[in-house]
Amino acid sequence: MTKAVSQVEKEDFEPYILVFCCNWCSYAGADLAGVSRFQYPPNVRIIRVMCSGRVDPAFVLRALKNRADGVLISGCHIGDCHYISGNEYTRDRFERLYNIIIKQLGVNEKRVKLEWVSASEGKRFAKVITDFTSEIKELGPLRK
Amino acid sequence: MKLITEINQKDNSEQSIEDSELYLDKIYEPNLRKLLSKCYQCVRCSGVCQLSKVQSFVPSVIIQRILEGSEDKVISSGVLWDCLTCNSCLQNCPEDINFADIVRNAKYKMKNYYKQNPEQFVAHKGIYTTISEILSEPYIQPNKNLDWVPKECKISDKGDILYFVGCIPYFKFEFQEVDPIPISSLKIMCQIENRPIVVLKDEVCCGHDLYWGLGNFEAFIKLAKKNYDLFEKSSVSTIITSCAEGYRTFKVEYPKLFEDFDKKFEVKHIIEYVYEKLKQGKVELKAPDESDINIQFTYHDPCRLSRFLPKSNNLLEKLREIFNILEGLGYSFKEMTHNKENALCCGVSSWMNCNTRSKALRYSRLLEAKEAGTTLVTSCPKCIMHLSCLQKDYDDLSSIEIKDFSEFLVNLIHVIDSENNGEVKS
Ligand code: SF4
Ligand code: SF4
Repeated sequence: MTKAVSQVEKEDFEPYILVFCCNWCSYAGADLAGVSRFQYPPNVRIIRVMCSGRVDPAFVLRALKNRADGVLISGCHIGDCHYISGNEYTRDRFERLYNIIIKQLGVNEKRVKLEWVSASEGKRFAKVITDFTSEIKELGPLRK
Repeated sequence: MKLITEINQKDNSEQSIEDSELYLDKIYEPNLRKLLSKCYQCVRCSGVCQLSKVQSFVPSVIIQRILEGSEDKVISSGVLWDCLTCNSCLQNCPEDINFADIVRNAKYKMKNYYKQNPEQFVAHKGIYTTISEILSEPYIQPNKNLDWVPKECKISDKGDILYFVGCIPYFKFEFQEVDPIPISSLKIMCQIENRPIVVLKDEVCCGHDLYWGLGNFEAFIKLAKKNYDLFEKSSVSTIITSCAEGYRTFKVEYPKLFEDFDKKFEVKHIIEYVYEKLKQGKVELKAPDESDINIQFTYHDPCRLSRFLPKSNNLLEKLREIFNILEGLGYSFKEMTHNKENALCCGVSSWMNCNTRSKALRYSRLLEAKEAGTTLVTSCPKCIMHLSCLQKDYDDLSSIEIKDFSEFLVNLIHVIDSENNGEVKS
């Protein structure tokens, strides 16, 4: 096991990133990013869910187990949820997942993230993905 | 730049695969018929099977089918995922046929050779078993939060005595009921010992649920190796745990993998530890206050301590002796109708099969408990979680207070002589 990822490896490394987008805001935001031709790295796989509240913490853990290098959950801004309060549950659940499980698990905390992106924020979606990807690249592969 | 489709999957584990196969032989027996050959179809197992009370499940018929050569059919039907692995059948089998162990071996087959996906049987969408699987990976080094350690307790990462916390820090995600277990166990221990207790930040899961529940023996072996190395590194000689499953895994399963495990480490349950200290006259139990005198308590025997230990291990007798002392002091203890080896199952084992049928089992267990007392003491974090989960659904059962043994005892213990020096502490 190598502790520090060498520079060469880091440049070579293309992370696997899993993104959960809610149907009403973030997925539409991703669409808008595409339609408006904002570029973002192709390392992400997007899974569309009806609401960010659908994302069970087990999905995140299973992604990490099955060699995802980072997981991003994205939903409508608080107050904008299509189902009124779905994202509030996500927020609370994510907080617990983050503090109780991810932090104690020995997986770098930066690998799991929650972001709110609305349907009009195509540009922001591209930025969120670009930033997250470069962060994960910096961290190197989870499975060393 | 490489295409994303041709990501280099580095496999540094060529050698370690062979290695784990070596270990696998020690815990996996593919020939189920060999294990069953002594069965003479007395059907006692089907009479006592706890699962058979709530669904149609007949172990003796399954055994007969396997012996007749239809093993393939039995295994491909997936019926064996349902067994609770509660071991009531072994307890009553005249030929000592360990059906639960056969189920365990069959699960490995079902998963690896029949490609059955146990996901639908795992409770909580498999959060907790996935955590165990992630922890087993060599590149993961957990960083457990130690904020719960009581201020008066001295801990270190090297020493003689280790307290094995287990997965409780992760269970906090949904279950607050188990929080007090490590706190009170550690409190008991550091009142008695005058040296720091080893509590490790990077301790991993014991692997019990992967071993009995999911049939993921590879991950179990990896976890066992990790634990073995950790224990060795921190130069401990005694391992104390308050978890029934962890205790049994260390006591029975790990020595199968590592021949020198029981020579190097002495594994004790907190019950055993307290019992020894009582016998040595190091601690005594306090007489009840006015307020406690009316508390009537009963004990739920976890299967891992009652039916899963070798006959020579009389842990539950020791526990009953502690309870006897308490009774002598004025507490009232009452056994449930089914106790010790005949105790009813808490309904869920290794996070498998939490469903309406298992709820029925839990309901009948709690009814018995209600009849016997107001406080239910047990020694398995999982039993506590499963039983108190059901309480939320049934108002008539919510009056029972469910406590861990250490939580129950922490305020009843009085240290006479703490080790290595004669000063009196309370
Ligand atoms: S109790 Fe034992 S001998 Fe009797 S049918 Fe069951 S497995 Fe066979
Ligand atoms: S282990 Fe328990 S559930 Fe499984 S067959 Fe035996 S008695 Fe029935």
